[in-house]
Amino acid sequence: MPTAEELRNKEQFYYCDVEVGQELPTYVIGPITPTHLFRWSAAIENWHRIHYDQDFAIYHEGLPNVLGQGSWKQSVMPQYLKDLTLPDGWAWKVTFQHRAMIVPGDTLTCWAKVTNKYEKSGLGFVELEVGMKNQDEIETCPGSGTIVLPIKGGKPVPYPFKPPEE
Amino acid sequence: MSSKKSYLTDEVKALISVQGERVQVSPWGIEKEGLRRFCQALMDSDPRSWDEDFARTTRYGEIVTPAIYCTYSGRQTLAADDPITKAFKENPVSDGIGGVRSSRGSLPSVPTELKRVLNAGNEIELLRYPSIGDIIYSQASYADITEREGRDGSRMLIITMETVYTNQDRETLCITRASSIRR
Repeated sequence: MPTAEELRNKEQFYYCDVEVGQELPTYVIGPITPTHLFRWSAAIENWHRIHYDQDFAIYHEGLPNVLGQGSWKQSVMPQYLKDLTLPDGWAWKVTFQHRAMIVPGDTLTCWAKVTNKYEKSGLGFVELEVGMKNQDEIETCPGSGTIVLPIKGGKPVPYPFKPPEE
Repeated sequence: MSSKKSYLTDEVKALISVQGERVQVSPWGIEKEGLRRFCQALMDSDPRSWDEDFARTTRYGEIVTPAIYCTYSGRQTLAADDPITKAFKENPVSDGIGGVRSSRGSLPSVPTELKRVLNAGNEIELLRYPSIGDIIYSQASYADITEREGRDGSRMLIITMETVYTNQDRETLCITRASSIRR
């Protein structure tokens, strides 16, 4: 995960800096502990016991352990894309499915690969295949995303972001 | 398509585009302490969400929250009975969700005999970051309901629920689309 100082000083990625097939910088998170899971449940007030009550998760629900929250994954993915676009781009959309379970001990890697790029309304749209793999290369969160990057010498990416007209 | 019974009945189709009530998500709006806890739990150390001096130099001009924060800012007021105590009185092996989560703004249930629910994926569209002091509202709707035939020939419903999050000025912050399979 990037530090505060890295995010404060991040240099802009421009539309011309990415090519189809390019793999973008990854995030590595973890190892995830039960304390991380409990902190997330408490922060968003999600009291589902499968995320912090190990006896309930294993003996009542038949799970291998307490589970990482889908809500955490769906918050990390936009964060990852946002950080890629800083300081002046925009993480517009992300779509994903919840696949393999996340359990304590897992180390997760968020990744993105450029599948398409196009200019529209003077902005650089970059389509991505994205995901979050565990240490065994098992995909927990396959999906896709669209980020918007400034074109060098072009206009700024609008904020608030206005999607281009179809 | 086989001649098997369709679950996409007129009653089910009638739910497409049905909207729930627009509800205020959090009694006190976006506030710094909740934001700090959220960012810490997300492990998002971006100074745009905590360093006022730095945030003023960015294009946002102020502290902003992670875009998706507004979808988790739902908080219970203290006016109601404690929902956790109540849930466990009613069911000592409560899973912690049943009877605990607020049902404000929820949509009518889909009238189907299909009981098994599977998560089919999520889409998040981000348009604007919430600011400190924003009052967040959400409004859910059934964006689409379709029917599909599985590999084993059984039919299932694909239900997509869209939730639009807006601020006190009705500016859209983000839109989530959650798809589920009923089979």
